[in-house]
Amino acid sequence: MIAAILRAQLLSMRLGARRGAIFGLITGLIWYGFWCGASVAIYLLAAHAGATVLRRALPTGLLLLFVYWQVVPIVSASFGSALDMRKLLVYPAPHGKLFVVEVLLRLTTGAEMVLVAAGATAGLLRNSAIGGWVAAPRILAPIAIFLLFNLLFASGLRSLVERLLSRRRIREILVVLMLSVVTIPRVLFATGAGPKSLDGLGPLIHAAALPWVAAAGSMLGESTWRALLIIAAWTLAAAWFGRTQFERNLRYDAVAAQATPLDRVPSARPTFSDRFYRLPALIFRDPLAVLIEKELRSLTRTPRFRMVFVMGFSFGLMVWLPFARLGETQRRGAIEQNFLAIVCVYALTLLGQVTYWNCFGFDRSAVQIYFAAPQRIAVTLQAKNIASMIVIYVEVLILAGLTLALRIGVGFGKVVETLLVVAVCSLYMLAFGNISSVHYPRALTPERVSQGGASSRFQALVFILYPLALLPVALAYLARYAFDSQTAFVVALGLAAVLGGFLYWMALESATETANKNRERILQDLSRGEGPVASN
Amino acid sequence: MSSPAILVRDLKKSYGSKAAVNGVDLEVPRGSFFGFLGPNGAGKSTTIRILTGLIPADSGYIEILGLRLPEDEMEIKKRIGLVPDESLMFERLTGFEFLEFVGRMYGLARDVAIQRARGLLELLELANDRKVIGEYSKGMRKRVAMAASLIHHPELFLMDEPFEGVDAVGARLMKDILVDQVRRGATIFLTSHVLEVVERLCDRIAIINNGAIVTAGTLEELRSNGESLEDAFVRVLGAERQLERLDWL
Repeated sequence: MIAAILRAQLLSMRLGARRGAIFGLITGLIWYGFWCGASVAIYLLAAHAGATVLRRALPTGLLLLFVYWQVVPIVSASFGSALDMRKLLVYPAPHGKLFVVEVLLRLTTGAEMVLVAAGATAGLLRNSAIGGWVAAPRILAPIAIFLLFNLLFASGLRSLVERLLSRRRIREILVVLMLSVVTIPRVLFATGAGPKSLDGLGPLIHAAALPWVAAAGSMLGESTWRALLIIAAWTLAAAWFGRTQFERNLRYDAVAAQATPLDRVPSARPTFSDRFYRLPALIFRDPLAVLIEKELRSLTRTPRFRMVFVMGFSFGLMVWLPFARLGETQRRGAIEQNFLAIVCVYALTLLGQVTYWNCFGFDRSAVQIYFAAPQRIAVTLQAKNIASMIVIYVEVLILAGLTLALRIGVGFGKVVETLLVVAVCSLYMLAFGNISSVHYPRALTPERVSQGGASSRFQALVFILYPLALLPVALAYLARYAFDSQTAFVVALGLAAVLGGFLYWMALESATETANKNRERILQDLSRGEGPVASN
Repeated sequence: MSSPAILVRDLKKSYGSKAAVNGVDLEVPRGSFFGFLGPNGAGKSTTIRILTGLIPADSGYIEILGLRLPEDEMEIKKRIGLVPDESLMFERLTGFEFLEFVGRMYGLARDVAIQRARGLLELLELANDRKVIGEYSKGMRKRVAMAASLIHHPELFLMDEPFEGVDAVGARLMKDILVDQVRRGATIFLTSHVLEVVERLCDRIAIINNGAIVTAGTLEELRSNGESLEDAFVRVLGAERQLERLDWL
């Protein structure tokens, strides 16, 4: 059964595999090369550290591994590959076997952590202070069980989050709740309404009964059997959690959960949102106006987009808030000073996966209407870019409001500066996005909230493109820091804008030419279905 | 004498070493209801996609409504209505919003597009369905696709399996609309595997196989001795064969 699924998946990937194989290889080498380097560094640290240091560092290291594996897929809105049950449930496949495949697929979001764990384990085996090679069974067994625990827990968490996020309204509430859990204590500390430090959390996350502490304890030879039992119990609990959530997902109809309620069908009379969608017609003429209008209507009704939009401001704050000192108006560091710009650029990058990186993704086979209609494809690309900018600026305004509410040094000047910075960054992002949209188009399922926006090989490239796209704006900030001058910042930002505008224009021309030349391949790519494993 | 609605000479299109369209010659008179038939994989959809400008031909001469393709691509697109084989609609728009979108893409003023969209939804009995298209049934999607092909009042309709998945009532309605369009001077070029429909609607037929036209003419010219279109189709393709049985089945 598992072999049949994997074979079907490999055969399904044949068509896309040849094109861009070298490209995918290079980006893969860069990404995993980085983690291999990290693994070697951890190996060296673990091999030469003393027992006391290891006793302190190993539980924290395993906790970080756990957090990365479980939280990063949610924060990055990319949940990794998963079985496409719509294609598999028609067959008499035992659920247990499907669950095994699903659990193994969690490696797609945690392979980096396996590399890191391998480095740490090899280092511990080399370290005579904790027993060396003689203690191999004692070191290997707990880390293997801990990795299995992570796989099983990630499987359950993915199923649970995916199901919750696919419910109308619930996903937005869930994301806000997750944000609140992280931000409220921080706000309480900062405003003096709560305890003054997070030191109290230390004993809590280092309790012996926790899986990372137990695994570390067992690896270091501290009450080995008791610790092993604890981690085994956690793994059994994770297996139960994973399997239960998997079964629930099998019985869950995501499309039905997202269907328009009968009492909430769009009214024939213009509503507030309808008037919002028609705003572009006040500025632009058809076909640009109608294309922007269509894009806004489609995006705001797409579950995947709505989730990422909410995540854009909520996780943006969640990720960066711990670095900012709230309420302190005097000693402001670089992060506090530029908090709004940082969070907005983060939101801009996050929104990219559902807007500009793969701008035809949600249109899927309907993309042919752009080629069949008597309009130039350049107009479609421009309309999609403008629609992206509108949603990005709505996001920026929400963030400005939230940062004002949280009292993180945002005045009118900072809001204006952020709007300009985001506009300049967007020029570069949209330029790269237009190129990627015509070279690496990929059909997206609007209902699948867990699906990433770009093709997997392009997602890897994004890690290279982001720094490149943000470099000119970063240089402007550097100029302000180096010359301690706002004028230097403005001049550098202006130059970045001119360069960005030129780059955008060139990229648009190139993307248009490519779209016209390769329209057949683009239509093919956007009409193509996936195999039994839905990639991220 | 006016030029034919479609004139194709020696049209070729290959995918790797496989020739999907291999020297097609076709002439569709204006005002005709033209059936374009062929077995699966014969090259019907590829031909339609070339005629609509969705994919380029490798070689050949194409003239549509007296205009050359690809030279006059934009002008041709303005004058044709398309119902493709697969869904060409944006799933997150309602039927009304989609029709308005298509109308404006074809250069209609917003008010006109809205007015026509409402009229077409009434005509195709979809006016009360305000769900997004993603929640439509296959038959409803086809009806919206047909409405979209009508909104700019084209001279030529290119339709790939327009009745697929449509119930009998909906299909009857769509057929009546198409017949009315031909009566008003439009040309319809359609593919369908439902030969009874083709037999009832079309006055001219061409059959394509392995990327080449094997026969073309009026319905009467195609049928001999009062045979049905299905019999004529199977005969022309040389596909008569006895049902083979599998031991295990």
